[in-house]
Amino acid sequence: MTAQLNPDNALMSPDGDLVVCTDASRTFGSGPSAVVAVQGTTAKVSPGARIAIAGPSGSGKSTLLHLMAGLEVPTRGQVTWPSFSTDAADRAQDIGVVFQSPSLVPALDVAENTGLPLILAGVGEQECRDRVAEALELVGVSDLAAKLPEELSGGQAQRVAVARVLALRPRLVLADEPTGQLDHATGQHLIDVLMATTTQIGAALVVTTHDRTVLERLDTHWWMHEGQLRTATTQGASA
Amino acid sequence: MTITWLGGLLRRRTGRLLATAVGISLAVALIAALGTFLTTSKATMTARAVRSVAVDWQVQVQPGANPTAVRDAVTRTSGVTATESVSTTQTTGLSATAGGTTQTTGPGLVLGLTPTYRHTFPGEIRQLSGSPTGVLLAQQTAANLHVRPGDRVSIGRAGAAPAVVTVAGVVDLPQADSLFQKVGAPPQSQPSAPPDNVILLPQATFNTVMGNRSSAATPAPTTQIHVARGAPLSNDPAAAYESVTGAAHNLEAHLAGQAVVGNNLGAALQGARSDAIYAQMLFLFLGLPGAILAALLTAALASAGADRRRAEQALLRTRGLAPRKVARLAVVEALLVGTTGGILGLGIGAAAGRLAFGPSPAGSSLSTSLVWAAIAFIAGLAIATLTVLVPALRDLRGRTVADARHAVGRSRTPLWMKGGVDFILIAGALLVFWASSANNYSLVLAPEGVATISVSYWAFLGPALLWLGAAMLLWRIANLALHHGRRPLARFIRPLTGRLAPSGAASMSRQRRPLARATVLLALAISFAASTATFNATYQQQAEADAQLSNGADVTVTEPPGLRVPPAAAAGMQTVAGVRHVEPIQHRFAYVGADLQDLYGVRPASITSATALQNAYFAGGTAKTLMARLKAQPDAILVSDETVKDFQLAPGDLLNLRLQDSRTKKLQTVPFHYAGIVKEFPTAPKDSFFVANADYITKATGSNAVGAFLVDTGGTNQNAVAANLQQQLGAAATITNVTQARSQVGSSLTSVNLAGLTRLELVFAVLLAASAGGIVLAVGLAERRRSLAILSVLGARRRQLRGLALSEGLLITIGGLIGGGLIAWGLSQMLVKVLTGVFDPPPSVIAIPWGYLTVTVLAVVGALGTAAMVSARASTRPAVEELRDL
Repeated sequence: MTAQLNPDNALMSPDGDLVVCTDASRTFGSGPSAVVAVQGTTAKVSPGARIAIAGPSGSGKSTLLHLMAGLEVPTRGQVTWPSFSTDAADRAQDIGVVFQSPSLVPALDVAENTGLPLILAGVGEQECRDRVAEALELVGVSDLAAKLPEELSGGQAQRVAVARVLALRPRLVLADEPTGQLDHATGQHLIDVLMATTTQIGAALVVTTHDRTVLERLDTHWWMHEGQLRTATTQGASA
Repeated sequence: MTITWLGGLLRRRTGRLLATAVGISLAVALIAALGTFLTTSKATMTARAVRSVAVDWQVQVQPGANPTAVRDAVTRTSGVTATESVSTTQTTGLSATAGGTTQTTGPGLVLGLTPTYRHTFPGEIRQLSGSPTGVLLAQQTAANLHVRPGDRVSIGRAGAAPAVVTVAGVVDLPQADSLFQKVGAPPQSQPSAPPDNVILLPQATFNTVMGNRSSAATPAPTTQIHVARGAPLSNDPAAAYESVTGAAHNLEAHLAGQAVVGNNLGAALQGARSDAIYAQMLFLFLGLPGAILAALLTAALASAGADRRRAEQALLRTRGLAPRKVARLAVVEALLVGTTGGILGLGIGAAAGRLAFGPSPAGSSLSTSLVWAAIAFIAGLAIATLTVLVPALRDLRGRTVADARHAVGRSRTPLWMKGGVDFILIAGALLVFWASSANNYSLVLAPEGVATISVSYWAFLGPALLWLGAAMLLWRIANLALHHGRRPLARFIRPLTGRLAPSGAASMSRQRRPLARATVLLALAISFAASTATFNATYQQQAEADAQLSNGADVTVTEPPGLRVPPAAAAGMQTVAGVRHVEPIQHRFAYVGADLQDLYGVRPASITSATALQNAYFAGGTAKTLMARLKAQPDAILVSDETVKDFQLAPGDLLNLRLQDSRTKKLQTVPFHYAGIVKEFPTAPKDSFFVANADYITKATGSNAVGAFLVDTGGTNQNAVAANLQQQLGAAATITNVTQARSQVGSSLTSVNLAGLTRLELVFAVLLAASAGGIVLAVGLAERRRSLAILSVLGARRRQLRGLALSEGLLITIGGLIGGGLIAWGLSQMLVKVLTGVFDPPPSVIAIPWGYLTVTVLAVVGALGTAAMVSARASTRPAVEELRDL
């Protein structure tokens, strides 16, 4: 049975939905060796939503996140972004993605990496500098601005990746286990920053996580099992 | 573990492994194919040297020895296939009466030939007119005496009345220099000029006319045994020279003073052996840089994957694999690419050799082919070891696991850059070049009669240091420009990358090491292609000039001696299809003091319409200015360097020549004024001669008779035009064309057909240039796919990603083309100077093969453009897919 998130349970907003997955599936490979990562998922993310996607390893959390980011194309069903541009490059200005492993450009320093999405969005030079400084300050890596990614630890690199998303001030932040490589305290701080900043800019936040403490801080929980979205709960309610 | 690793490599790193193997295969193929060239060229030189000799040995019977006994002994000698006796004696002079006047010559030589001589040695005598048997007169003697077949000639005899004989034919003696050599002269002595007056008698007539010594004043006839040898010779001219010279010495020792051997075959091989060394030089000059370049290309390809390899090594080590086992995996990878590249290269080399030198090249045997294949294959394995194994082992020993994760790093200035090694190398190159100019760039010294050849290998240092130094300087410049020129770079790439320009510039600036390496590699490849092509083009230009010089023009019509053909006859030849211009040249003989020299009368205004006059043929002015001087001052004359020295001439000096007046048939003094030096001239002999204004000669001698007509065909259809002219003019005129001359020109390196080498070199050079640009860029960009994928996730458009890839390609192309062009220019100048000995005549200007250079540039731009586009296309795959695959 395919569990579906009841749209009525999601946070509603007069601005309309940010992402809508309709019976979306993603299968890798074909024939007997095919792996169904996400199966028949119907869900949506509304503005300002705080969603945690949880589930065991290999349950399809990251793939679902990638489908919502538009980085994966569903093999069945569809994913739409009613509030965003249909052009993938333009849409990238509204959706910030934090990957499981650091995804910095090796040949650019921390400040340049952080400013990349702003440059692509056409933000002016001065504003770009200010927003980069602010974002680095927020995640506590201002002193690393001139460092190259290879000179950072895994945790530092991940914080820079988060700063890069925050500097963009997107309307939707999708974070794939952003605290996986961080110690507990740093992880908590990062989640604090993500929560505070997304609230400040009015962005929705979707985080995949194994970490119960992260889970508890988010309003809505989606539970994934074997590629299927089984249950969705909002604090104080369950579906 | 090893098998699993190997399988993984083959599945996941196919592109990089294949690219590395292709780099190795190019080096292997080049070495194998050039080995074939070396073997073939040496065999060709030996064969041509042997073919150029009419009589292998001239055994001079010493006074008092029995000629018959000597001949028997020579005939019995191993390797001798035929012998003929030739008697020689002197005449006090020859005289003849023709057209009511009597001509008398100075002393001359009388030869007695056996009836079978011309059959045994067909190359010694060339029939010009009359009968091949009976009394024969040398061409110049016939001209001096104004006799034709059927006329009677009186042979002066010391102490006896002249003997009168009837001339049966007029002949040319193409091998006169060796035929009349002073056998047994010391090796370093000056060669003696052949006699001006020669008459050839049948042996019986000789015995009757010259054999009886009537007085002590009559010189005794001497006997030579002319020998044809059939002993097999080595393909290597040096080995052949040693064996022939050894055999000649052996015969002399056997004859115990009864005879001395004039070793014509040895003399011809003597020239060929120094040419063989020049061929070896060409192999080193033109082949070695190609092989080094292919090795550098391989190194660049291998190092493009070095970061990943380091990361993989680090992973294996953190998983507990012992360094020894990690090293074993590197050995397996090196063996894999070395063997694959080696096998592939031998295949390409065999195909290229077959294409360039034909299915069974001269001198190649299974054993020589196997030796060269083995050398090339070992070179391939060595390159794989140096470029794949050594860096892997170095990383394994000298780097920590944490180090190995670093891909970009803060670039430190290399030690060579701090020490200015590039400037030192360029200064060294100029110093060596200057020093080798002191001995006129004589790379090869092959003293006559000495078995050993000395080669000035250190002259190689000049071009080698220049190549290396210029490459390092380019690296320095590229490095500096990328490091400090981020803003201009951003402006430069903005049209391609748009908003990403500053980030692109920053990225390129930090990735300057691989970019500078790719630029330098491309520049080296282009300089190799361009300098090789320029050298080859200049060589072809000079070979053509040599052939034109020997023949005179595309087609040359030589009128028989004694026949008076006016310049107006050119009009008739002009009607023959394919003829563009016909230029008459007068040929006379003129006495300067007691010395008889050839005199050529030319029309200075139009001579260059039929033949090319190079500045190198003259001294004291260019070809153009000296011809202008002959035109402006009709009594001006160009003389040989030797004549200037012998007669102490200064420009403007009066030079009185004695020329025959056609009206009185007597010699009369004609005043000329020395205007310049002529070293070589179309149709002129190698020794001394004059060039003057034809109109002036006509006026002074009363005859406008033409010696030869130079026919310009526009460089095409020479054979057909020659055949048509022969048909029109009949058998009397001798018609030769430049295609015959090409196969006959001297024993210098021009005798080796470099066309095969040229084709081979040029194809490899283009392949290397295209690979250096295209494959290196493609592999480099492939290693940066992750960065492009991240940019795509962040919202970079396809156009911008394509722009980034194209920017790198454009930067490498521009840097490589400019750098390569400049290095090629310097290298070509140096190569042509250092290899002066290869050219005959030396070039006055370097020939630039624009067509080939255009093809090379197009190939490079095409390869780089394709690589950039393919990489850009690959970067437009879904970003997550890309990130997952890496």
